[in-house]
Amino acid sequence: MPTWGRRLASGALAFHLVGILVGPLSLPPALLADYLRRVYSPYIEAAYLDNAYKFFAPDPGPSHLIRWTAVMPDGSRRQGLLPDRQQHWPRLFYHRHFMLSEFLAGQPDPNWDPDTPWERLPNSELQRLLARSFARHLLYKLGAQSVTLELIEHALPNPEQVQQGLRLDDPSLYRSRKLGTYRRRGE
Amino acid sequence: MLRGYLRELWHWWVDGWNRFWFSPADPATLGLLRALAGGMLLYTHAVWSLGLNDFFGPYSWVSPQAARELYRGDVPWSWFWHISSPTLLWLLHTAALVVMAMFALGLFSRVTAVLSWLCAVAYAHRVPGALFGLDQINAMLAMYLMLGPCGAAWSVDRWIARWRSGRPLPPAVPSTAANLAVRLIQVHMCVIYFFAGVSKLQGQSWWAGTALWGAVANLEYQTLDLTWMCHTPWLVALLTQATVWWELFFCVLVWPRLLRPLVLAFAVPLHLGIAVGMGMVTFGLVMLIGCASFVPPWLVRRLLGGGPAVPPAGVESGAPRAGRAMRRRRGARG
Repeated sequence: MPTWGRRLASGALAFHLVGILVGPLSLPPALLADYLRRVYSPYIEAAYLDNAYKFFAPDPGPSHLIRWTAVMPDGSRRQGLLPDRQQHWPRLFYHRHFMLSEFLAGQPDPNWDPDTPWERLPNSELQRLLARSFARHLLYKLGAQSVTLELIEHALPNPEQVQQGLRLDDPSLYRSRKLGTYRRRGE
Repeated sequence: MLRGYLRELWHWWVDGWNRFWFSPADPATLGLLRALAGGMLLYTHAVWSLGLNDFFGPYSWVSPQAARELYRGDVPWSWFWHISSPTLLWLLHTAALVVMAMFALGLFSRVTAVLSWLCAVAYAHRVPGALFGLDQINAMLAMYLMLGPCGAAWSVDRWIARWRSGRPLPPAVPSTAANLAVRLIQVHMCVIYFFAGVSKLQGQSWWAGTALWGAVANLEYQTLDLTWMCHTPWLVALLTQATVWWELFFCVLVWPRLLRPLVLAFAVPLHLGIAVGMGMVTFGLVMLIGCASFVPPWLVRRLLGGGPAVPPAGVESGAPRAGRAMRRRRGARG
């Protein structure tokens, strides 16, 4: 490789190598990452390099599901779960649906009061946006009149509880809160 | 004295940089990565077929309008924003799968590599909310594979070239681009593991040694019942902290020749454990594909049985020296 080519490639490499650090450095927000982001945003967002790589961090937590209840035009009701092991197969397809419910649950109101019980937490703007979109999908797909969505949190039992015989699907580990009821036109 | 030190430091840095990035390498490792990553891209995107309209249609789970609002105005490119016809959606999806199949097989590799990367990114940008680590690694691998001659080994392109010439082809020419592509994957894997490890230190359970229990006791992830671990807290603590330390120090320990096999050997149970225990087979495998970038070309040839498979002389078994060794061998044959 000629020297000029090597210099050019080195410059591009240096630019790129700093770029792949911006995503991980930005979560949680950091001053340096903010400055870098001004330069790098167009590049890392276009190339899908804006990722934090925080797998199962900072702590593995409870999982989240969405229960939907649809009222059909004949008045009958249909229920479903997001994700649903019986319906969503293969596992990657199940995981895509699981990520949807986790994504919605992971958008809490930035001003939430930690003293408010989880069941009574107000849904954030982004949660309402996603819930509306999920409901619209179900209304369209099922041809339903209305859809009610509930967010379910499935807590993790500690080892001592499991030693004492608590099952992972024990009802005491679940709690839920309503996301909303959505009709064909508007909420 | 300071000037002398700085001059020596500068030369050391430049020489090391040039040797690391710009030494020609046998494309055997790159070819293997193309086949594996291409296969994973194909499978990952084929699974979208089960719910193409559910995820990419106008009334998808995350509708185009909702996705645009999620991006808060900075909507990343994707051709899916402009498609509302189910027929066109299926046509493009089928074309993407064909491109990825060709890429995995190594047919018109240089073109299909670029197209596969574009497809991977276009899909990812359209479905915020349904993504996870698998998609990040898929796109990363596709991006770097298109920079090198990823069809120069273990490919249909190579088979066609041999068929046209009518006789066995000489070993693939060592290439700077092959080394550059593999090096970028290696460095990116180091960045991924380092930040995966650092971010775990922000969590109390990883530090305390209980985090693995959080994965074991999560019914929605569980595919293998490992709750017997509630009786062996020491094992949970050992595996939790081994994971964190391994991720943190991967970026250092994977480079020395003697430590590399050990570091990579730890990746196998770790990622297969995630695959089998937590049902994340694709994620576990794609991380192992990324780790395979550290397997030197001579070893890839020895394992797959194509062409000369002699470890390079000296102590280093990484890509650049393998390239030099190959040139020496070619020179010896005249």
